[in-house]
Amino acid sequence: MNLSIFSFLALLLCLSGCAATGKQSAAQPVHSTAPAVGEDFSDVPVQQVDDPFLKLNRTVFGMNDNFNNWAIRPLAHGYAAVVPLPVRTSITNFFDNLQFPVRFVNSVLQGKLVRSAQETGKFVVNSTAGVGGLFRVSDHVRSLADVPASDFGQTLGVWGIRPGPYLVLPLLGPSDCRDLIGLAGDYVISPLDWHTLGFIHCAYISNATSIALGATRFVNGLPKAIDTYDQLKSGAVDPYVAIRDAYLSNRAAQVKK
Amino acid sequence: MWIDRFQPILKSSLLLFFLGILRLAHAAPTDDALAALHSSTDEVLSVAYGGHGTENLAARVRPLLEKSFAFDIVTRQAMGPGWRQFSAADQKRVTDLFTELVIRTYSSRVVGTQRPKIVYGQPVELAPDRREIPTRVTTSTDSQPISVVYRMVKLPTGWHTYDVLIEGVSFIANYRAQFDGIIQNGGAPAVIRTLEAKLAALGDSHS
Repeated sequence: MNLSIFSFLALLLCLSGCAATGKQSAAQPVHSTAPAVGEDFSDVPVQQVDDPFLKLNRTVFGMNDNFNNWAIRPLAHGYAAVVPLPVRTSITNFFDNLQFPVRFVNSVLQGKLVRSAQETGKFVVNSTAGVGGLFRVSDHVRSLADVPASDFGQTLGVWGIRPGPYLVLPLLGPSDCRDLIGLAGDYVISPLDWHTLGFIHCAYISNATSIALGATRFVNGLPKAIDTYDQLKSGAVDPYVAIRDAYLSNRAAQVKK
Repeated sequence: MWIDRFQPILKSSLLLFFLGILRLAHAAPTDDALAALHSSTDEVLSVAYGGHGTENLAARVRPLLEKSFAFDIVTRQAMGPGWRQFSAADQKRVTDLFTELVIRTYSSRVVGTQRPKIVYGQPVELAPDRREIPTRVTTSTDSQPISVVYRMVKLPTGWHTYDVLIEGVSFIANYRAQFDGIIQNGGAPAVIRTLEAKLAALGDSHS
């Protein structure tokens, strides 16, 4: 992927979105005088929504939903039937451990030095006692057990950059302009992409190996991902809005952590 | 994959709405709201993970949930300011349907046999009759704890939960966002039609 084009496209989308006038949600809190219990509607943390590409986003959401139904779900269920949960968990742990540079660099960029030290501690403990990251031994160390993950989208948020218009990306799902740029940033920092990007040249890592690692990581995450998606959808009366609100609220909370 | 970022709120399965206690941060709750939350969640989890499986679970937990949750306030808040335009009959009907949706959807999410572990934080006073209680929840399938914040209100019948924020996602704000467009386009009748259709779909998928 040409990252400069990727970033430029993201920037273009942001700028065009900022110029567009997003429909203001009528779900804004209102203030009433002397509200009865439960009548004070300003008491709810309603998420501000900037969704100028609503029609396009809903179309892409529908396409992604069909793709999930016809391709991802059967693949996820098939994989889960063949690979037992403990093995899947260890594979997830292994790749999470490899993502240490992403979390470390972003913790530093956010000025959270204690968190970056915790990330380093997690990486050392899990890489050694956890047999190359297959086991999350750090969960049993009180100071390392609950460290919020950092990414570049969050970093941009901490730096004061607003999320910009909400986007639904083909296959990738919900995002916003800030997180789209963040995705590109994390792609560069992730060791899993260093060979693809030509940052490292190792005789033992071929392009095929690099692709196989990426594919393993992707497929291994599918059973849980599709389960999450189904759960988010199952209680929703408008799944598009439910997932949009959940995404934006969750990301806003992560930036504040 | 984008949904990896959502893993924490996977738990936004409302199972968390009904969560209970396994391990407490403090030997005994000293706040009335905290004590009420302890008691009600423990009761619900005892039923959900009592070894009787998930068959007919919604019916079994319903009395406990109706006791611990202020479903009338939950519904009103989920509908937002448009609620004031509903007739009394419509308000009653919407409350019944929405309560049914919440109970049925999320009682179907009890999976596994291991009760989640919850560590309670100190209650925060939002107002004399409101408390916010932060918790950290660990389930058997996720080693990373999840942030779950309970919002409680004091009514003549005691402390009741009226909102749950899971990893920053407010339950009632999420539903308010969904109902906003429906209310704008069709008012209470549209809300009732939507809820009835959703419940019918859930019934079909469970049958």
